[in-house]
Amino acid sequence: MIERDQNVAPATVLPRNRVPNAFSRYPSALLLLVVFGVELGVSMFVIRDVRTVSVEAQQMYARSVLGLRQIGELQYQAQETRRSTLYALTTNDSNLQVEYADQSREADRRVTDGIIAYLQQAGMPNEIDFGRRLQRDWSAYLKVRDEVLASILEGSTKEAVDLDLSGGVPSFERVRQDLDEIKRLYDVQASEELARVSASSRRSIVRLVGVVCFTLIFATFSVWAIQKSRMLGAVELARLQMDFVASISHELRTPLAVIRSAAENIADGVVEGKDQLAKYGSVIRNQSRQMTDLVNQILLFVSTRERRNHYILQSLQVSEIVISAVENTAELVREAGFVVEQHVEPDLPCVMGDLPALSRCVQNLMGNAIKYGAQARWVGIRAFREKSGHHGEVRISVQDRGIGIDKADLPHIFEPFYRSSAVRAAQIHGTGLGLPLARSIAEAMGGRLTVESKLGGGSVFTLHLPSVREINHPASARTPGRDVGTTK
Amino acid sequence: MHRCLRRLMIFGLAIGWLLGVCNDTARAGGPMPEEQLQGDLAIIVNTANPVESLSLTELRKVFLGERSHWPSGRRITLVMMEPGQPERRALLRDVCQMNESDFSRHFLHGVFTGEVFVSPKTLASPVGVRKFIFNVPGAIGYVRASEVDSSVKAIRVDGHLPADREYSLHLQPRAVQ
Repeated sequence: MIERDQNVAPATVLPRNRVPNAFSRYPSALLLLVVFGVELGVSMFVIRDVRTVSVEAQQMYARSVLGLRQIGELQYQAQETRRSTLYALTTNDSNLQVEYADQSREADRRVTDGIIAYLQQAGMPNEIDFGRRLQRDWSAYLKVRDEVLASILEGSTKEAVDLDLSGGVPSFERVRQDLDEIKRLYDVQASEELARVSASSRRSIVRLVGVVCFTLIFATFSVWAIQKSRMLGAVELARLQMDFVASISHELRTPLAVIRSAAENIADGVVEGKDQLAKYGSVIRNQSRQMTDLVNQILLFVSTRERRNHYILQSLQVSEIVISAVENTAELVREAGFVVEQHVEPDLPCVMGDLPALSRCVQNLMGNAIKYGAQARWVGIRAFREKSGHHGEVRISVQDRGIGIDKADLPHIFEPFYRSSAVRAAQIHGTGLGLPLARSIAEAMGGRLTVESKLGGGSVFTLHLPSVREINHPASARTPGRDVGTTK
Repeated sequence: MHRCLRRLMIFGLAIGWLLGVCNDTARAGGPMPEEQLQGDLAIIVNTANPVESLSLTELRKVFLGERSHWPSGRRITLVMMEPGQPERRALLRDVCQMNESDFSRHFLHGVFTGEVFVSPKTLASPVGVRKFIFNVPGAIGYVRASEVDSSVKAIRVDGHLPADREYSLHLQPRAVQ
């Protein structure tokens, strides 16, 4: 049974949001979108890490490897300086000796420039110390070298050899040691840089593996969640369809039983006289018409779902819609013993729509109001223009004072085949298609269908329809308001 | 007619002599033109050598090996160009006042008798001479005045540099005026 809470405030339910609809309709696309976004993020992350490692490797190359190469060049040129000086000792030809002296000076200029460049780029205190010591030792060697060269060119070979052995060899040895020290310094720096790059690479790999694992887990979870959602949806649909089949069977069985009973009575000769025969004929006609209406409603809903309906949109007066719906439900109202109060505001603008479809929509709402109207046996139909907010909107509301709708059921009443447990328990017959069909029609006309309900206090379903612009429909097209009055 | 021509020639020669005298007078004491500089022979030493000037007589002693050390105590190293070079011919003529064979004989004899203390180094080009002197602080040599650069130092001879008119060392002998 429906829990009847008299204190529940009226709730308003708008048509469901289109975004969740799209998500539930295209789960694979959503999954792909999510996976693509995650993969994009992962790719950017990986690219950033790879760039970091690359920059570190370039810095290592620039600092240590180029430094080592520079020191190697300095060592070579220093050796060349000394070698050219000693070559001058091997000849007595002054022209050749001058050539060798020239070569020695050219090499020593390169060494001097290299030391200056090293000092300019040196940043660490120990680098600067080593550089200055090298510069000092190199200058000392060059002084000895100049003396040796002068002695050689003067022809004093013995003096040159003595000078070289006493001063040149030890001073050049100091230069060689300085260069070795700087080289060792670069080796240490290169090792540290290499360790740093290796650590960075390892860190990147760990991050990459972590992120890929996360992505895989996330993707797997997404697939699982979507599949579960679809499965639950399919189960729910199957359940609703089973309920629908049961409801339809029940709805069909009752008129069929009446028709069969009437037919048996006629066949058995129980019915006598024209009056009784006419009465039985009327019963059979009414029941068959009820069955036809039921089947038509199902077919109409199916065609609406498959978008096979072709509505003929035209400018309509709101009173036409109300009158059509009331006339078509007059017999039902009369049989149920309901009172229908109608009020159409004067000077309502026209709306654009298909008259039979809109009439069917209002009829469904009236049918529901009668079905769930309980003992009050009252239905109110009101057509009016919204004074605030949606200015170009005309509303047709159908109100009852019946059992109302539970707050928990409100979000589902527009779902096809949905019937609340309270309604099923109360054995109120129905297909669960009336409201979905009404909403489909409203949306097809560019409008919408809303509901306000209070459990035990009745419900108000409102059809919102956009009005036609006055420029297209001058005032002459309007019709005066009609207070149709009360119908029984 | 002949007498007129002779008078005209005498007049022309007189004008030419007067123009030449005026030109020489104008140039006396001023710097020599570039062509003149090309014809001078510069005596060069190492830039570290404190000697700035030598007399022609001292220069002759140096180039004939009769002087072995500079006043600073550094040993003198003579740098000569190869025989046949105009610079060498000019030096032998103007400084040593010898020809090639006398110069060779002088050194052979001097070395043999011990009167000559140094033997000259022979280089093939002025560039070689410059580089040699640049490397040896006690070296002295000669190149054309136009080939002197900052790696060596040209010294005064009898108080004059190659740019001066009174400079006495030239590649070509000067006609006696």
